[in-house]
Amino acid sequence: MTKPVRELMHPGLITCTMDTPIGQAAMLLMRHRVHALAVTDRDGRPVGLLSDFDLLAGEWLSADRESLEAMRRMTAGELMSTPLNTIDAGSTASEAAQRMRREGFHRLIVTEDGRPLGVISVSDLVAYLASQEPARRQTVSDVMSHAILVCREETPVREVARTMTDSRYRSVLVLDGAGRPRGVVSGWDLLGCLDGKPAADQTAAQVMHPALTIRPEASLREAANRMIEHHYHRLVVVDPERPEAVPLGILSSYDIVNEMARPGSVWQA
Amino acid sequence: MAEPAVGMGPQDQAERERFENEVRRIVQAAQAEGLILRLLGSLAFQMHCPRYGSLQAKMGRAYTDIDFASYSQQAKGVRELMARLGYVEDREVFVVTEGGRAIFESPKSHLHVDVFYAKLDFSHVIPWDGRLEADAPTIPLAEMLLEKMQIVQINEKDVIDTIMLLLEHPLGDSDAETIHMGRVAGLCAADWGLWRTVTMNLGKVGILAQGYSQLETDEQGHVVQQIESALARIDAEPKPLAWRLRARVGDRVKWYKDVEEVQ
Repeated sequence: MTKPVRELMHPGLITCTMDTPIGQAAMLLMRHRVHALAVTDRDGRPVGLLSDFDLLAGEWLSADRESLEAMRRMTAGELMSTPLNTIDAGSTASEAAQRMRREGFHRLIVTEDGRPLGVISVSDLVAYLASQEPARRQTVSDVMSHAILVCREETPVREVARTMTDSRYRSVLVLDGAGRPRGVVSGWDLLGCLDGKPAADQTAAQVMHPALTIRPEASLREAANRMIEHHYHRLVVVDPERPEAVPLGILSSYDIVNEMARPGSVWQA
Repeated sequence: MAEPAVGMGPQDQAERERFENEVRRIVQAAQAEGLILRLLGSLAFQMHCPRYGSLQAKMGRAYTDIDFASYSQQAKGVRELMARLGYVEDREVFVVTEGGRAIFESPKSHLHVDVFYAKLDFSHVIPWDGRLEADAPTIPLAEMLLEKMQIVQINEKDVIDTIMLLLEHPLGDSDAETIHMGRVAGLCAADWGLWRTVTMNLGKVGILAQGYSQLETDEQGHVVQQIESALARIDAEPKPLAWRLRARVGDRVKWYKDVEEVQ
């Protein structure tokens, strides 16, 4: 974990001024798809950070009309955390992780000669960690997504669509109340809501397609074969000993193509 | 001339003894039945401050009722005990407070007993959380300090009780005749609102203590010193992210509950 944070950070800062109302700051976070803004003084120098967690205070403390009005008047400069927590661009990923853990920060401003260059966050370090995977990628288990998005059979379709969009997942595994897999909802399944029965009236169970399963130790060739044979874009990976238990993961066609594109794979030799 | 505030005003010794004797009777009966029933309020301060308890009478602090703390699972036992001791419960209070509080009245003595189950819930919540076993026959000294310091609209009777407590007991990190500041600091670190009120009131007590002619100069100085140490201990306690976030909002948003008086 010796890579310098300069190579892992998000370059540049998304900023707002001290007098930006927190409602407007929330809009800026959404518009730029970031989790924090650097708050700048009148000379444009960053003096603090305002994160999405800080903005939760708006909802948390608006218990009545009077509190809501007080929170609506609050500005980024009043709610931001200070001082600015910085790390030198030449510091390693390990040093950044150590500081975050020790001091409880989720992001640090990366500087060079005291000048801000960008932001390094927990997500950037997690992405770096994910890139350090072992080379063995031969079976379904090596390539599948272990963390999966799930919903219950009765979940409204509108909620399924919103969650898929927010989390950038392309499918949701549908479970029953006991956690048993019942089907999969993909973007394709949701298309029906645009030219048929409105999404507001439907549940996940009504639009899902049956889950096609595969064993974790199956080869990628076997998985590709199964997808092509059934014309499925994703397979639900189940424990063959306990097929009714919560699945182990999901393997998508994208996961297999991603493996083919990986430097060092047989396709790139 | 203005009426004295509730809990303030002259009270003859016989009347004070009537309250104190009744407390002993209830405490002994509860103890005999294995019930966890711990005293709080003015009588607790009197009982736990043998050296400085006389300040109450000297400073015009009167008893008005008897307050106890207990756990919710003991409510049935407490109700039966109080009935045997000749008290009648106002059942509506128990229902309205969802089992958080019970009020008993003795038709014979006209004494009034309040029981707070699970927590004290006024300007802020002070949970009993298994703490009642730490002391007897009163709630622990840390909770006695918090009982007074959590009141946003603090009045003179609360200030007098706090001064007595701080004169009588050292601060420390145990409950043995000591005000457990770890407990006080821990609760204040978990709730910025409680921290705000407690530190505000400790400051007030420190200022007011210096104006009581009933206290010697060295006693006034000792109270101020105790308060400085208490504030330093509260300040030193690590604060979680939620506390720090709430602190940034500060007084812009109300940090306490308005207290509704149950008559």
